[in-house]
Amino acid sequence: MNCQKSIVISNKEICSGVFEMVIEDKCIAEKAAAGQFLHLKPVESNEVLLRRPISIHRLDREKALITLLYQLKGKGTVGLSKIAVNEYIDIIGPIGKGFPIESEKRCAIVGGGIGIAPLMQLTADLKAFGKPISCDAYLGFRSDVYKLEEFSMLCDKTHVATEDGSFGEKGYITDIFAGNLHKYDVIYTCGPKIMMSKIKELCSTKKLKCYVSLEEKMGCGVGACLVCVCKTKAGDGDSWHHSKVCCDGPVFDAEEVLLND
Amino acid sequence: MINTSTNLAGIKMKSPVITASGTFGFGREYGSFYDLSLLGGITVKGLTLKPREGNKAPRIAEASASILNSVGLQNPGIEVFLDEELPFLRQYDTAVIANIAGNTIDEYCEMAERLGSSVDGIELNISCPNVKEGGVAFGTKSQSVYEITKSVKRHSCVPLIVKLSPNVTDITEIAAAAQEAGADALSLINTLLGMAIDVHTQRPMLANNVGGLSGPAVKPVALRMVWQVCGAVKIPVIGMGGISTWEDAVEFILAGASSIAVGTASFIDPFAPVRITEGIVQYMEKYGYSCIDDFRGKLKVF
Ligand SMILES: Cc1cc2nc3c(=O)[nH]c(=O)nc-3n(C[C@H](O)[C@H](O)[C@H](O)COP(=O)(O)OP(=O)(O)OC[C@H]3O[C@@H](n4cnc5c(N)ncnc54)[C@H](O)[C@@H]3O)c2cc1C
Ligand SMILES: Cc1cc2nc3c(=O)[nH]c(=O)nc-3n(C[C@H](O)[C@H](O)[C@H](O)COP(=O)(O)O)c2cc1C
Ligand code: FES
Repeated sequence: MNCQKSIVISNKEICSGVFEMVIEDKCIAEKAAAGQFLHLKPVESNEVLLRRPISIHRLDREKALITLLYQLKGKGTVGLSKIAVNEYIDIIGPIGKGFPIESEKRCAIVGGGIGIAPLMQLTADLKAFGKPISCDAYLGFRSDVYKLEEFSMLCDKTHVATEDGSFGEKGYITDIFAGNLHKYDVIYTCGPKIMMSKIKELCSTKKLKCYVSLEEKMGCGVGACLVCVCKTKAGDGDSWHHSKVCCDGPVFDAEEVLLND
Repeated sequence: MINTSTNLAGIKMKSPVITASGTFGFGREYGSFYDLSLLGGITVKGLTLKPREGNKAPRIAEASASILNSVGLQNPGIEVFLDEELPFLRQYDTAVIANIAGNTIDEYCEMAERLGSSVDGIELNISCPNVKEGGVAFGTKSQSVYEITKSVKRHSCVPLIVKLSPNVTDITEIAAAAQEAGADALSLINTLLGMAIDVHTQRPMLANNVGGLSGPAVKPVALRMVWQVCGAVKIPVIGMGGISTWEDAVEFILAGASSIAVGTASFIDPFAPVRITEGIVQYMEKYGYSCIDDFRGKLKVF
């Protein structure tokens, strides 16, 4: 595992409250996989004590660049947004189990809001290594939309929905996706828990393979403190176990996790 | 020559720096950052007789210069520890301390027997604020501390460390009861019971409603308690609570602690225990101390 300071190449707001940060780090860029995350220390002082987990949004393995996409939420992400170009940021990572790249499948990625972040590198890696028969994107937002162009370049078809109807279809992306279920073999999803539960439910009716990327509050980020747990199936019947999102995930086979309790 | 070695009631350690229970797993994770042999000792996650799944998530919340946790002793049980985790730890030249918790005195005794002499020390956790039975229930009354310590001591063949809760009126009374009952050493403090509320959802931040406070903010409280306890008992004390720099560690040693433990600080800087060890050595060089006892308890009070 690595823990080091890496240089910030750029850090800018791409739409209201959503930032894109580019970091240069050979070590991380070489090792990282789609779906993994970095555990960042956004503020040096003890006042904002903990690190913050942020997904790898895009990797340029040759140029050793890692791009993050993050939404302002509280002290930590606001601290991140204040880091200036050429400053250093303290990083542990890359961490966790990323998305399995399934070969020669009909794939769909379903992202909700900032949950689209890890799906970008996944789409790129699917194209590069998975030789998919097809790969479509389903992106849902509340109102503001972002990153659509980049997804459209990587995907065959990009569907967009906004809850207020300001762009694309009005409503939930899950409803659009539901109508096209028959077109796919493998689904990858990241977003609000309620959205992922719906996708999981839809996929299980058709026995489609589905991978979900979970979020949970973290301490160490490396598997030592056991605060970041989610329920996963253990053996037969109703028995379950607490797995660690930071190192057993954040990506899980949807059939293995219990999302609703 | 600087000698940082410490003999904590018979537990031989090459440095006074230990990792605190529950913040270091069973060592594997941080073992991928540095050589665990650099540590004086490792206290493993709280063990119970049977595996435990712990409390619901969210189990952590951030507060000013601190965190609250409500893990609730999730662990694979003592058998898995002995079969799968201990052999890993034994590859390293570091003391291994097993932190144990139970629902009844008998369970604690049974665990001490199962551990036998496979570990270097046993830390009696009678101070976990996150479980309903056992845990802190044993740790807040002098009489029950005396009883449990006396019973477990009869069943343990390695030094017994009693871990004290700060959630008591007079910690020196509890410390004296543990000493009287035969404890070989004391460790303190466990976490302070605390709470955080989300004003938007109007719900507690932790699914368990309340949890244990740790991190830099608790250090002054921990230091005061360690100082008081060191003045009240003769057995050695492991000081902990918010230690994140070598200066913090030296403060505890000046207050009388024989060893110190690093907990929450590892989450922020995985190398914290190693950096603290290096800092202690530099402090000793600067002031010409050759061993820890040269400055331990040397606080000049007003
Ligand atoms: C594996 C993983 C990947 C993530 N990837 C991204 C990403 O690419 N882009 C992005 O914008 N966000 C991502 N998040 C969510 C991001 O970690 C939180 O939004 C961020 O920690 C909030 O910190 P804050 O101080 O701004 O907010 P506050 O609400 O003030 O944070 C308080 C505490 O709660 C924790 N916390 C709050 N919300 C979350 C959350 N949703 N998940 C985990 N911890 C949380 C914080 O880390 C902090 O410890 C990811 C979360 C996880 C677990
Ligand atoms: C996530 C977490 C889990 C903990 N689990 C245990 C435990 O299993 N047994 C125990 O005796 N103490 C446990 N503790 C308490 C620590 O060992 C230590 O006493 C306390 O955190 C104070 O030290 P610190 O401020 O350096 O973290 C835990 C603390 C944290 C933060
Ligand atoms: S955050 Fe510590 S185990 Fe996952």
